[in-house]
Amino acid sequence: MLRVAGLAAGYADGGIVLDGIDLEVDAAESVALLGRNGMGKTTLLRAIMGHLRPVAGDVVFEGRSIGGWPPFAVANAGIGYVPQGREIFNEFTVEENLVLGVLGTAGFRARVPEAVYARFPLLAERHRQKAGTMSGGEQQQLAIARALASRPRLLLLDEPTEGLQPSIVRSLAQTLAEIARSDRLSLLVVEQNLEFVQSLTTRCLFIENGRIVDQVDTSRLRADQAILERYLSL
Amino acid sequence: MAQILITGLDALNFMLALLLVTLGLIIIFGLMNVINMAHGELFLLGAYTVVLVTQAGGSFWIALVAAPLVLAGLGLVIEELVIRHVYHRFIDTILATWGLSLTIKQAIVIAFGPTAQQIDSPLPATVRFLGVGYPAYRLFIMAIAVAAAAATFALFHRTRLGLAARAVIANRYSASSLGINTRRMDRLTFAFGAALAGLAGAVMAPLMSVDPQMGVGFLIPAFLSILIGGAGSLFGAVLGTALIAGGSTIVASVWTQIAAQVVVFGLAIVVIRLFPHGLTGGRR
Repeated sequence: MLRVAGLAAGYADGGIVLDGIDLEVDAAESVALLGRNGMGKTTLLRAIMGHLRPVAGDVVFEGRSIGGWPPFAVANAGIGYVPQGREIFNEFTVEENLVLGVLGTAGFRARVPEAVYARFPLLAERHRQKAGTMSGGEQQQLAIARALASRPRLLLLDEPTEGLQPSIVRSLAQTLAEIARSDRLSLLVVEQNLEFVQSLTTRCLFIENGRIVDQVDTSRLRADQAILERYLSL
Repeated sequence: MAQILITGLDALNFMLALLLVTLGLIIIFGLMNVINMAHGELFLLGAYTVVLVTQAGGSFWIALVAAPLVLAGLGLVIEELVIRHVYHRFIDTILATWGLSLTIKQAIVIAFGPTAQQIDSPLPATVRFLGVGYPAYRLFIMAIAVAAAAATFALFHRTRLGLAARAVIANRYSASSLGINTRRMDRLTFAFGAALAGLAGAVMAPLMSVDPQMGVGFLIPAFLSILIGGAGSLFGAVLGTALIAGGSTIVASVWTQIAAQVVVFGLAIVVIRLFPHGLTGGRR
């Protein structure tokens, strides 16, 4: 459903450059994107979202070429994005944050879908609270719920476990796995936490210097010490 | 006592008209990060819309409705032709909008001549208000300005459209990732800001001499109001315009117009020294 072919992109000030990325994510498949810092993981997600213009190559989503589309059009095509650092609107209430998740597709009569509150009861309870006053784990729930509110078919997650306690990481993996299964949602996850990767994904891609250089089934990840050493220095 | 009340009403009058100009500037700056140097000329065009309509035999009231609509349309055109090409280059936006301001001013000189035009007051009566005689039209201006400012606040804080606009202001990157059409928001914002300036220009036209330089007289105090009140919130605009308009009107009434300018600039310097992000700078 998502196919990235020969994608090259970079920043105007000469930051990390994607140098011909090729990858595919199938419907209802969960894929992890692994690699050391500075190899282009975040840049790749940003480029898929349209925050960076491709210099070469293309991004095809559900048969449509979306390379070069502005971010709002990519989002409304059915791709949800949970950026690094969550990027929730701290000054807005939980409910306002969630409404913003559906505004693009539902228009200006948008309401928070019941399904979102049913799935994240904590957010229903806190709907009037200012988002910035919640804990890190709660904010991450909100960022994910917000990205899911418009019912995307593909969810891009950038370091979702960053700064979270182990117990919360486990429940987050469980929640995401359930949603992915019940909604036939595809996931592309950038993550450092191997336990999280193992409980959520079926395939791991390794990125190095802006290229996908290797891949392995997640079930074989722990056994393959050589690959972990080579790409993650573990 | 009566004189104090009249000065107070004059100050409030100036403040409310200035608030309409300032709200437009602050919304455009907040959303698009564009300092619109041509905003005074949008005010000017609002006033000249009244000149045009009344010269053609139309009534002032038709002109008052037409001005914000004309300016909203012009705002869309300006955004499409100029702003959208430069809004990500901050310094260029200042140059481009300044150039636009000169162009509009000269176009007005060509079309209407450099001399001042007079608009007759559409409500010449004087009403007794709290024991003093006060021009009915000035009270009408206050009512219009309060209504427009209240509508702006309601639009921003009570509607989905306003929520989307505030989201783009808070974090353009995140808002676009969520599917909010930032292009459309830019267009709407610029048109809305232009319409507010046009309404202010039209409503103030009968009180001022309508000439090609009248825009500057509102642009500078509007900028000072934003610097004092803070660019981060609409409430900052209320605070800033109250201080600038109140200060200059009161000083001018007891002293001279020149002294008022000096005092207001001095006040602005002191406030900016103590609150570099404006009085509401902490709140964003």
